[in-house]
Amino acid sequence: MSRKVTIPRIPHAFFKWYCKQEKYEEIHGDLEEFFYERVEVVGLAKARLFYIWNVIRCFQPYAWKIPQSQNSNIVMFRNYFKTSYRSMIKNPLSSFINVFGLAVAVGVCMVAYSFMDFDYSIDRFHEYKDEVYLTTFYVDREGTEEQYGKTPAPLGEMLRQDFSSIKKVTRVHDGSAVMKHGDNVFHESIRYVDPDFLEMFTFPLKWGSSSSLTDLNSIILSAEASVKYFGSENPIGKDIKAIFNDTEIKTFKVAGVADEFPKAHIIGFDFLVNFHNLSISNPSFDLTDWKGMVNATFIQVEDVANLEVIASGMEKYRKLQNEVEQDWAITAFNFVTVHDLHLGSAEIREDISYDGSQEGRIALPFIAVFILALACFNYINIAIVSSTKRLKEIGLRKVIGANKRLVIVQFLAENLFVTFLAGILGFFLAATVFLPWFAAFADIANEFNLLDGNMWLFMIGVLMFTGVVSGIYPAFYISKFDVIKIFKGTVKFGTKNTLTKVFLSVQLMLACVGITFAVMFAQNSAYQAKRDWGYKQKETLYINVPDRSVYEQMKAAVEQNPDVTSLAGSKNHLGKTSTTTIVHLPARQYEVREIAVGSSYFETMGIELEEGRFFEEYKESERKSIVVNQLFVENLALTEPIGAQVKIDSIRYDIVGVSKNFHFNNFYYENLPTIFTVAEQEDYRYLTMQVRKGAEQNTYESIQTEWSQLFPETPFQGGYQEDVWIGFYEDLGVMKKFTRAIAIVFVLLASLGLYGLVKLNISGRIREFSIRKTLGANVKNLAKNIFSQYVLLSIIAVVFGAPLGHIMITAMIDMMFPEPRPFGFTGAAISAIILVFVLILVISTQVRKVSRANPVEGLKVE
Amino acid sequence: MGRTYLGEFEELVLLTVGILYEDAYAVAITKEITKQSERSVNVSAVHKSLYRLEKKGMLKSKLSDPESKRGGKRKRLFTITPFGKTALDESMDLRMKMRKQIPELAFKLQIV
Repeated sequence: MSRKVTIPRIPHAFFKWYCKQEKYEEIHGDLEEFFYERVEVVGLAKARLFYIWNVIRCFQPYAWKIPQSQNSNIVMFRNYFKTSYRSMIKNPLSSFINVFGLAVAVGVCMVAYSFMDFDYSIDRFHEYKDEVYLTTFYVDREGTEEQYGKTPAPLGEMLRQDFSSIKKVTRVHDGSAVMKHGDNVFHESIRYVDPDFLEMFTFPLKWGSSSSLTDLNSIILSAEASVKYFGSENPIGKDIKAIFNDTEIKTFKVAGVADEFPKAHIIGFDFLVNFHNLSISNPSFDLTDWKGMVNATFIQVEDVANLEVIASGMEKYRKLQNEVEQDWAITAFNFVTVHDLHLGSAEIREDISYDGSQEGRIALPFIAVFILALACFNYINIAIVSSTKRLKEIGLRKVIGANKRLVIVQFLAENLFVTFLAGILGFFLAATVFLPWFAAFADIANEFNLLDGNMWLFMIGVLMFTGVVSGIYPAFYISKFDVIKIFKGTVKFGTKNTLTKVFLSVQLMLACVGITFAVMFAQNSAYQAKRDWGYKQKETLYINVPDRSVYEQMKAAVEQNPDVTSLAGSKNHLGKTSTTTIVHLPARQYEVREIAVGSSYFETMGIELEEGRFFEEYKESERKSIVVNQLFVENLALTEPIGAQVKIDSIRYDIVGVSKNFHFNNFYYENLPTIFTVAEQEDYRYLTMQVRKGAEQNTYESIQTEWSQLFPETPFQGGYQEDVWIGFYEDLGVMKKFTRAIAIVFVLLASLGLYGLVKLNISGRIREFSIRKTLGANVKNLAKNIFSQYVLLSIIAVVFGAPLGHIMITAMIDMMFPEPRPFGFTGAAISAIILVFVLILVISTQVRKVSRANPVEGLKVE
Repeated sequence: MGRTYLGEFEELVLLTVGILYEDAYAVAITKEITKQSERSVNVSAVHKSLYRLEKKGMLKSKLSDPESKRGGKRKRLFTITPFGKTALDESMDLRMKMRKQIPELAFKLQIV
């Protein structure tokens, strides 16, 4: 044998560590004997394995060391643990309320955390997130600087040539096309980018290479698109046809397929092609024209210092741009990193990122903190009252030498024990109930990332914080008790203490605010759902057409349909497309939404006239007419709008009519000043029709059949006008469900807390009630006695809580909806009523119990 | 003193301690049981039973002299106590007594 026969060191050390000293010699002797014997028989390697196996097998109680420090803190804490366990078992109700309340709160906190964590990780998986900047610019709009995320078309190329410190540049523009592979034909959106795109945004590729974007004929697919067109097979090298504007057909070769995007992404793509393909799909697009805009231009700069140099060098572009484009005269440029883009998106107009989670960022932490606070106050109140049941224990501890500090440590330790128990339960609640439920509508990852260290730190932090905060007052309160008074039985508790009263009213107030939150959100959702859009969304259908000939054919077909009462052509369409236009008035210029429509559009869509007239049909002079909405008139303070003149692109237009306000977008968006212009028939892209009530579905189906007969090659695009906002109504529905759940949690926590508190309070006074009863008190007297204790507190809670909730929630809803429900005090009133009702219900059950109990039981002393 | 209780494996260990007499220590017991019962036995299981039996008072033990084949360590030698013998006998008797009460017919029926 060449190798030395030695016992494996690490297992040996492990054995030495766990085995008691007095048994080490004999047990390890046995193991060694076996080891040396086995070396002879089966060889060293196997013998070592056997040895390790034996060490593991011997890891049993008979061999274990017993901790030496019998008199130290370990014993003390073991004892605390035992007492807290016993006191929990002894009062199952109050411990359940404590643990469950805290668990719900911790669970909600975890969900809030994972939501925030998700939100803050959006688009941050890119390797160069801190080096890649979106170029944005400011435009002066009536004195306020508005930031835009799009970029003048020539800028990207010029930046690349002028600055050597810019490592990479990519322009991003989006367009639509019909994609075709075999029988799979769909309308898709295509992203035109420079070859650097995939090096700046490090989306990993499943197949193919990112450098293939230099080839004009290559296309890169998202994982989703790949499955949609090619199934699960590898499509690299296969052909896919793109049909632009229904006429230009170009065949691309699939050169790459991206991995499934991380869930936390906003910037993504379905189809990526080289930027120069834009000249095929959009031949009129001039990349040297400063009036043209691309959707985004990103630059990559390694050193922040260089960025300042670039920023100061932007002046010449500003001048170039200002020379040709006065309506969009840029006042300054700015750069935003990809890292910050999502969170800053609300401030940037027309950028390719967006921020849809503002409500969540406002509401969730609020809810989490409130629920946590409520659970803490529940805990504090119950802890104080239930401590009265443990007075003797505390007295005894003090007599045998525990000082104040030790009693405080004991109760804090006990509290941490309860909180950690709650933490475990809360985590399971969150992982199995809250998070999957929340993720079902908030579109976030629906399970916790168990390897996320920060999440655990957060959870432990929350637990420690709640443990100490909720426990500190009860601990000090209890530790202060005077031993002699305890044994004499003259300690005053609970109800006589001012601070306890304050705590109880704070608890009720929190509950009141919480319920107000839920009620008001529910009210607002209901209100938003019922609001009028300002036009007819029912019985209205629309078809998206690619060009005039298709429009004419479809129009001819639809006119035959007896169910269609009116129809209209338009270039833009409510809820779908519009353009941003600058209107020049003598004294000022003004940014508005422009909707180009045919003359019958107003009637078909049901837009109402305020004054003047709508467009008349087939008149050359109508081309110079516009219809504006009321908001336009109000914002510009036009006293006589009809006949007023405005200039657009230095052409003069007459305002001929004023329409009532209507909502182009859903109610999350502010209403904008809007003008209608006359659309050229050449430009008609939408065919809108009003149908007879009840005939919507039939008409829709017959149009679809018609379409597939006329244009079998092109997929149908169109639908019910109602469905334009379907996402918004789903959102409202979700919010309704969510707030209902939150309301239930608040009511549940509040009533549980109250129940525990009242029950404890009454069971502490059971002797008093028994005496009252034997002396002739009836239910009424008893009820009066018990209720009087809580009347003042609840009044204070409701008087302060309801208005406080009202103010806070109104502010919150104002942030989310530009036109929130005009709130009266009904929300606050309803929540106050709910709270009072719960209060009365809880106390009544206890009164009933007291009145039914036999006074003898209460007076018996064991 | 209440009834004594012997587990099946404990009984085997107790018997083996008796068989090995003067040289009954964990390694030897493990090997003996393996040999006699033809089942694989881990030394740890034997340790556990030995210490439990000692605690019950059915075995007593002393340390031997150091031996080089075990890295110069001493071994713990076990011997049966009178209480151990009684427990063993009672256990065996009980089994025999109950075995005898099974009517022969029961086995025959089982075969069919």
